[in-house]
Amino acid sequence: MQKIPLSSVTSDMILARDIFRGNMPVGMPVCNKGTQLTDDLIKRLENLDILSVYVEGCPVQEEGNNSLDIHLRELDGRFIKTFREPLNAILYNTYKAYLIRSMGGNSGRQTE
Amino acid sequence: MADKRSDLKKSIMDTKTLPTLPSVIRKLNSLSDNEKSSVQEMAKIVSSDQVLSARILRLANSPSYGFYRVSTITNAMILLGVNVVKSLAIASSIFAAMEKDNVCLWEHSLGVGVAANLIARKLGLPECEEIATAGLLHDIGKVIIRIKCSTAENDILGLIHTRQIYTLEAEREVIDTDHAEVGAWLSKSWFLPEKLGEPIAFHHDVAKSENYRTKTAVVHIADVLIKASGFGNSGDNFVPPIQQIAWDTLQLNEQLLAELVEEIEDKLIEVKTFCLEMMSD
Repeated sequence: MQKIPLSSVTSDMILARDIFRGNMPVGMPVCNKGTQLTDDLIKRLENLDILSVYVEGCPVQEEGNNSLDIHLRELDGRFIKTFREPLNAILYNTYKAYLIRSMGGNSGRQTE
Repeated sequence: MADKRSDLKKSIMDTKTLPTLPSVIRKLNSLSDNEKSSVQEMAKIVSSDQVLSARILRLANSPSYGFYRVSTITNAMILLGVNVVKSLAIASSIFAAMEKDNVCLWEHSLGVGVAANLIARKLGLPECEEIATAGLLHDIGKVIIRIKCSTAENDILGLIHTRQIYTLEAEREVIDTDHAEVGAWLSKSWFLPEKLGEPIAFHHDVAKSENYRTKTAVVHIADVLIKASGFGNSGDNFVPPIQQIAWDTLQLNEQLLAELVEEIEDKLIEVKTFCLEMMSD
């Protein structure tokens, strides 16, 4: 799953989260997750002032480096003092697994 | 060193020098001690202060509680309980100072509030709203240190940066006390209920919490989880060690932890939106 600005959305992408009006979780639902985006739909979202959406996989390569690598490096930095403690090690591994899963895994190369 | 500590303690226990505690809260305190007073009566008192009511409602609608449609103070009191509304009244007065110029700490606090609520619900604990409030307020001592001794705060941040130590260690070195203790003084001087005061005082040392250890343990774990997720910033960037006693008290295991991480990360996206909205107001 990756959050990208609407301007970089293309018509083949699949929504990973519901879209709500006004980007608010209490707003009126506009589009379900799992929907495959089309040009018409993207135009309609633009008209509704939706700024960013969550899409499946990791379709947009962020500048410089793979974003998953950056996230993992930051995670290592946060755990630098405590990764040897057994309980923190569990938490570290849980988070690492979560990041890899949620960001497409395989260093961003999504298997189709 | 000891002088600094007692000076600080004195100035915190002396409520007059603290950011103004609205007179409404004093009235509310005396009413909530009286068992005969009704929710309507208390709501009426709070509603008489419009700015305060707006602030309370905004927090009551924050993702920490997950109701989103609390539109009146009476509703808030029924849904969240009088204790929570009282604490929100106090918190909102303090947070008002923090919202604009320390966004990172504000995000961290909201995140811990959300995480504490999710943990409490997952484990089926009673009084989820109170636990969420304790999470929201757990670092209130940091705000007070910032307000009371801003030069010391700079020294503390400097120490964290140069020596790469925990905020807690830096605070003890500079002001001979720490934000947990300051928070405890504050909750005493403002008559916060013990079930909120204890988690604030002992979220870094769960073993010392005797009467409300479960609540303290939840706030401790919530704090660690939010530090691990890197959401917001509470001073240093290091995940503190998970205390075995908290883990055992809540009977956590790897499976539960994995589910919690997933749920919390999901909810944090909402928190981010909520923070951005608050900033833009």
